[in-house]
Amino acid sequence: MKILIIEDEIDLLQNSKEFLEAEKFLVETAMDYPSALEKVMNYQYDCILLDIMIPGGSGLDILKQMKAANRKQAVLILSAKDSVADKVLGLEIGADDYLAKPFHFAELLARIKSIIRRNAQEGSSLLTYKNITVDPENRIVRIADKVLTFNRKEFDMLYYFLLRPNKLLEKTTLAEAVWGDHSDQADNLDFIYSQIKNIRKKLKDADAEADIQAVYGVGYKLV
Amino acid sequence: MAISVKNYTNRYLVLAILVIMAIWALLFYALLMDEVYDNVDDGLKNQKIEIIREAFKDSTVITDNKTYGINQFIIREVAPREDLDKNHFSRKLIYMPYDEEDEPYRILSTGFFSKDGKAYELEIRTSTVEEDDFLINLAISLSVLYIVIVLSILIINHFVLRNAWKPFKETLRNLSQYRFGESKSFQPVKSQVKEFEELNLQIAKMIDRNEMVFEDQKRFLENASHELQTPLAVSIGKMELLLQDEAFNESQLKKLAEAKQSLHRMVGLNKSLLMLSRIENHQYNQIEKIDFNALTKNLLEELEDIYTYKEVQVSMEEKSIFLADCNPELAQILIGNLLRNAIKYNKPQGQIQVFFSERVIRIANDSLGEALNPKYIFERFHKGTQDSSSNGLGLSIVQSILEKYPYLTIQYQFIHNQHVFELIKN
Repeated sequence: MKILIIEDEIDLLQNSKEFLEAEKFLVETAMDYPSALEKVMNYQYDCILLDIMIPGGSGLDILKQMKAANRKQAVLILSAKDSVADKVLGLEIGADDYLAKPFHFAELLARIKSIIRRNAQEGSSLLTYKNITVDPENRIVRIADKVLTFNRKEFDMLYYFLLRPNKLLEKTTLAEAVWGDHSDQADNLDFIYSQIKNIRKKLKDADAEADIQAVYGVGYKLV
Repeated sequence: MAISVKNYTNRYLVLAILVIMAIWALLFYALLMDEVYDNVDDGLKNQKIEIIREAFKDSTVITDNKTYGINQFIIREVAPREDLDKNHFSRKLIYMPYDEEDEPYRILSTGFFSKDGKAYELEIRTSTVEEDDFLINLAISLSVLYIVIVLSILIINHFVLRNAWKPFKETLRNLSQYRFGESKSFQPVKSQVKEFEELNLQIAKMIDRNEMVFEDQKRFLENASHELQTPLAVSIGKMELLLQDEAFNESQLKKLAEAKQSLHRMVGLNKSLLMLSRIENHQYNQIEKIDFNALTKNLLEELEDIYTYKEVQVSMEEKSIFLADCNPELAQILIGNLLRNAIKYNKPQGQIQVFFSERVIRIANDSLGEALNPKYIFERFHKGTQDSSSNGLGLSIVQSILEKYPYLTIQYQFIHNQHVFELIKN
């Protein structure tokens, strides 16, 4: 999987690159408008992470150029400007999704995966860990071929766990991913605990080989 | 105590006119009396000449006038003396049958030598002005004059000053309507009075200066928040990478996660500040008719996990649909902030009641603490006592949103241990 990160802040670029490479992506980078445009026009990527404010031009202009050249690439806009107008405009010009900075890497990964999944013509988009299989398209969870029902939020959380099994998922990440902006004003994130408890119970009852493990005070991990 | 300019000037005018008129009355009286006596005395002197002349021609004049009769003079024989013909004036009260009382007379005492060389004393009298009556009359007429003058001044002042101060009052009223960030909200008032023109000019200058400072501050806040975003994102990213590192033990991970959480709070604060400046910069201009009932229901659904975890009961009563023109995003933030506060500052197993009528949305929640001070709760960074995780901007964002919609107002009350916020449509 090949990803292009267009970002002018070297530290941010390094962070994302390091994270995505750990997730086994092939990462290329561009730090200004001309080099970004050149790469976008000449190479094919599975997903492009596009910053709106880059030296030499706007990320939105890159989108426009791509559209004019009829070049179809999967684009995820990453912007510090958390404004709806920008978001709407970006999506209208042809971006696939929009993520406001700063973001959790788990969230970034989920978005990239879902974009890649949507753009993939063939092949399976199923996520599998041990005997758990998640079909994000149809929102179905199977454990050893037995279908298990989860409510929307439980499913979303399980999906995050399956994206990165064995990796630590922080409570804040989970809360923001599933409850969005509302989580930042909830006084503590303990309400996640009851959801996790439900998921664990369902997994256990269905004899799943994996379990969710708490990392005390930090978050959870699927093992 | 402060009094109006009109009363202030009137008070001094009334006093000053009183003093001036009193002094003037004294001078006038003295001058008039002097003139009166002068005239009377001249008449007496003239009479003296005529009597003496007559006495020279006709000696019976001397013999027939030993007492006051019809002629208002007497002639008595006296021992000759040096200053016999010197004029001496005096004033004396003499009974007057007409008035049936003593009246003032002016008396000229003098003397002359007759044709045969005898010395005679001559006393001529004439009724003169009644000084006390005159004084009383003068006092009465001056008092009337004083009252008339004072009344006229009051009336003229009342009307003229009212007109003259009209622009001033309008300027005051306009000033009270002036709001920061909107220089157009102050309208200078045209006036022909130089002072008020000057006042207008200075106010306009002051407003310009304030607006500039306000603008600068706003821009500073905006730039600061923008500039903070990248370092925050970088630090959070680095920490997240560290958190993935298998080498750390649980307690180290916990510390890292806590540090990251603090940074996330800063991100939240930053977002709120940016939101405030965006609202103030009118970046939410698209307006739709919003069904607040539906909006609230959606939000409550999203918040369900959070309030059920706190075992908070939410009840809703809809008398009617609350419709208002508003930006959809801002409406979402507005109600969202109020609901989140209602959950956050609720007690465990508490209640939230949401009520809708055509013109009021009431959100009431049980409270752990005391009444909030409605003076401060909408201020930026004002925090209640129980807060640790709030940034104190939620309600000030609500306030900023409502400032954009003059037909919406919010009121806070503390009733039966409940915080009650009412959004009212006018």
